[in-house]
Amino acid sequence: MDLIRYYIRQLFNIIKTEVFILPSRMIVLLFFITILGLPLITNDPYLLRILILASIFAIFAASWDLLSGFTGQMNFGHALFFGVGAYSAAMLNQHVHIPPWGSIPLGALGAVLAGLIVGIPCLRLRGTYLALTTLAFPIILMGIVFAIPHITGGELGISGLDRLARSRVVNYYIAVLVMLVLCTIMWKITDSNIGIIFHAIREDEVAVRASGINTTRYKLLAFCLSGFFAGMAGGLYAHFMRIADPSTLEVSMSFQVVIWSVFGGVVTIWGPVGAVFVLFPLLEFFRFWPEFRMLLFAIVILLILLFMPQGLLPWIRDKIESECPRCKIRNVATRKNCRICDTSMH
Amino acid sequence: MILDIIITSLINGSTYALLAIGFSLIFGVARIVNIAHTAFFMVASYCIYMITRKLGYHPIVGMLVAIPLITLLGLICYKLFIDPIREHEAAVLISTIALAIAFQEIMLLIFTGDYLSVPALIQGYFTVFGAKVFYQQLITFIAALVILGALRLLLMKTKLGLAIRSTAQDREVANLMGMNESRVAMITMGISVALAGFTGAVVVPLTTVNPFMWLHPLIMMMAVVVLGGLGSIKGSFFAAYILGFAEAAVVFLIPMGAFLKGSVALSVMILVLLIRPEGLFGVAFEEER
Amino acid sequence: MKNLKSSLVIILAFFLIVTFCFPAWGAKTIKIGVIGPMQFVQGKGHWNGAVMAAEEINAKGGVKVGDKRMKIELVKADSNEFLSMTDATNAMELLMARHKVDFVVGGFRSEAVFAMQDIAMDYKKIFIGTGASHSKLCLRVAEDYDRYKYWFRGTPFNEKFLGKTAFIQLATVGAILKKSLNIPKVKVAVVAEKAMWVEGMIAAAKGFLPKMGMEVVGVWQPSQAATDVTAELSAIQRAEPHVIFTIFSASVGISFAKQAGELKIPAVLTGINVEAQKDGFWEATQGKGNYVTTMNTYARGVETNEFTKPFVDRYIKRFGEVPPYTADTYSAIVYTLVPAIEMTGTLDADRLVKVMEVREFKTPGGKVSYLKDKQGRPLHELKWGPGYLTSLGVQWQDGKLVGVWPNKWVAAKGAPEVTYKGIVPFKIPPWMIEKYK
Repeated sequence: MDLIRYYIRQLFNIIKTEVFILPSRMIVLLFFITILGLPLITNDPYLLRILILASIFAIFAASWDLLSGFTGQMNFGHALFFGVGAYSAAMLNQHVHIPPWGSIPLGALGAVLAGLIVGIPCLRLRGTYLALTTLAFPIILMGIVFAIPHITGGELGISGLDRLARSRVVNYYIAVLVMLVLCTIMWKITDSNIGIIFHAIREDEVAVRASGINTTRYKLLAFCLSGFFAGMAGGLYAHFMRIADPSTLEVSMSFQVVIWSVFGGVVTIWGPVGAVFVLFPLLEFFRFWPEFRMLLFAIVILLILLFMPQGLLPWIRDKIESECPRCKIRNVATRKNCRICDTSMH
Repeated sequence: MILDIIITSLINGSTYALLAIGFSLIFGVARIVNIAHTAFFMVASYCIYMITRKLGYHPIVGMLVAIPLITLLGLICYKLFIDPIREHEAAVLISTIALAIAFQEIMLLIFTGDYLSVPALIQGYFTVFGAKVFYQQLITFIAALVILGALRLLLMKTKLGLAIRSTAQDREVANLMGMNESRVAMITMGISVALAGFTGAVVVPLTTVNPFMWLHPLIMMMAVVVLGGLGSIKGSFFAAYILGFAEAAVVFLIPMGAFLKGSVALSVMILVLLIRPEGLFGVAFEEER
Repeated sequence: MKNLKSSLVIILAFFLIVTFCFPAWGAKTIKIGVIGPMQFVQGKGHWNGAVMAAEEINAKGGVKVGDKRMKIELVKADSNEFLSMTDATNAMELLMARHKVDFVVGGFRSEAVFAMQDIAMDYKKIFIGTGASHSKLCLRVAEDYDRYKYWFRGTPFNEKFLGKTAFIQLATVGAILKKSLNIPKVKVAVVAEKAMWVEGMIAAAKGFLPKMGMEVVGVWQPSQAATDVTAELSAIQRAEPHVIFTIFSASVGISFAKQAGELKIPAVLTGINVEAQKDGFWEATQGKGNYVTTMNTYARGVETNEFTKPFVDRYIKRFGEVPPYTADTYSAIVYTLVPAIEMTGTLDADRLVKVMEVREFKTPGGKVSYLKDKQGRPLHELKWGPGYLTSLGVQWQDGKLVGVWPNKWVAAKGAPEVTYKGIVPFKIPPWMIEKYK
């Protein structure tokens, strides 16, 4: 009993000292609470559907950022991992009758394999060459999908997959929990030694090699990790929509994820996640003007990028927090003196 | 059969060459990956459609009016949306994607999704070595060669060409040498968009016009540019014909696999890149600070 | 500038909040959802047909449900199925959860309709498909009746019957060619876009055509959005076919017809070419699509039965073009749903399904009757045949799309000849007559 009270007191302590200090961390906490508690307030299946899809795409966008934001290898064919994950999960479910909680991770492993296949040729390429080459891979796979329709279902895809769970609310919780767990894992990866190496590879690869680190291994690791998470997203998508079809491999899907991530701010994991939760409902909201929907979407992106080229969320973060000039710790923007080293903030 | 393949590849290759040269130019000079390049091509096609079908003028008039209009449009878009954020390459990329989507939607609103077509400059066809070739396709082929020649002249023999080439080699030093780098970038953008418009004028009678026509040429164009080497105009030219040949070969040799021509061309590109990462004639850029 | 940026963020936040809080309005009407790709011709057909139906019924005072009259309220939902599967499923969910529609009509792309069908079945609402032809949609009804019984096919008949009709039309054209041009054996080139529904037809063509006394000289499969098919056409020309059997549903139909016409290929283009069914085809091919033949459901002047002419004429008068087959949302509402509702006096889906699946009734396209499979399980699939639904064969003749089939068609040995009113004779392209005379 006392032990439990001790742990609860510790938890409150941590929240008071670590989370409440910075508005950005409070927003994250609020986000967690809202997204977990939403089904208690509303039962609207349409709303839940939008959020489930947003969660799935959030995993997808965050995985892109892990690869292209952090290691700087611009991947324009991220839909490949998504599609491979979706199709593998679908084929495992349909032909081998593995239930969703098995087929999705196994499908993600298929996407890891795809990550290796894509990563190895791309080791020698840089910059725009890399970007445009990766663009080609999902298109080639789509051609193959059409060429062997009896296995892949051609342009109809594979339909009739098992659902994740019987009820919409349980579906929602599965998607949201998986998203929160996976995104936290991704964030932890970037916060670790591996993350530092990824940052370094992006900034100056030659220097990293000169320091004795095998950049090849880390670049391939980035591809594989990114592929795994994107594959999980793909598998979830296939089982939620109950169909895995070639639209998961389309160029527009690759472009969408790049748009979301850059809009939300690259080189962060929370940027793309936030951007998806902003842009995806926005696109649905624009349903009120069906002819102008995509146009408004494009205009919103153009304007936001014009004024906030670093991304929307980093811009917001810079407005509410600032960095201390001496100890580089983040503080609330309204403070006059840094909370750690007490120097003036201006 | 071989003759058919060669003739087809020459013609298809010319289309890709025209598009790729414009794209390569703006990338080499200003490091802008202009995803909206084929979208300008689409807007030019719609312009020509408007002028020839709705207003009833001859296609030549359509071409002469559309190209300056498109160039103006391109320059305005560049000034408004791309120039302010040129330092952030990722943002520029996304902006051009958003621009392309915006154009697509505007065309969809004005013209709806129906398929439209534009009359050819010279109607009819002629037979060479047993294969039937449209006059319009011949025009496309000749146009590609003419444009390449003209561009080469511009780049090698004029002062502007010198400025463009030096900015492409090293932006900062060109600035130091007294060339107004941002003005050169703008002029290059104008030339690039004008090329896209010209391609639209020449190629469009062979295809159907619809708001989504910019996606497929975009992929092929990027494959051509990457294969030929970014920043190299000569490379884009040759790569265009190589990929055109690959596509034609697929269509003729595997009739049931004609839909695979895109995939095969892209695979060719990847294979070449594996062997030579800078593309065929590419210049390996130094790490830029 | 700073204020501008801040206000942008506030506006975005406002949008987000409003999205989540938009309430649904309820009313005492029968809500019918119309779902389709509204930016494109097919979706417009869905909506136009439904609008005509709703206005007609409401003008009569509405639908008699038991002892009260209820008006029809249409809810438009843009599925955007050509571009985004997620959009299609979201649109269907919106109809079900927010607008709480009682019935849904529409759908076009088979793959999107699979997903949309699942959602409608989850909510147990009757969904009449007016566009997708895949047979598996109806097989699901037989395999899992309790879940999928709310699905009915409104139009077109499934791809097996489509293929059958296309082959019959091909045989008719072949016979005409044989007779007028004295061709001993008709050679056929099969050109089909790369798509799943086509695979079965290509295999069937390779099997059937030799039995019909025709020779298959080759099979070409360009991609759906191919705009330049001169390569394929050169190869086809070398094979010297008399008939080019086309199986197209996408834009390649226009490019192919246009370029084949420009090159004056001495062959008849027949088969399925969905783009050629539209009035805009003539413009899109700049007249080079002359003499192209395709299957269609409606044509100016052709009367399948006594309901056809009033429907087609009213549609042309209102919307300026011949109704595409997706405009059969009109039949779905006026002839399928409303009479069933009036017969049972209720909107309850289960009771309506029982009544609907045994009805046989006439619509402007023909007579509707639902099939059962070999084990007697209901498929809710449309029956094909003379006296039921046969569709038409239409041909472009000098800028006009006219009906050319069924023209003295004998469906089986000993069966009576079938010719619909308004059918005109088939025309062979003059450059082909020149070559073969």
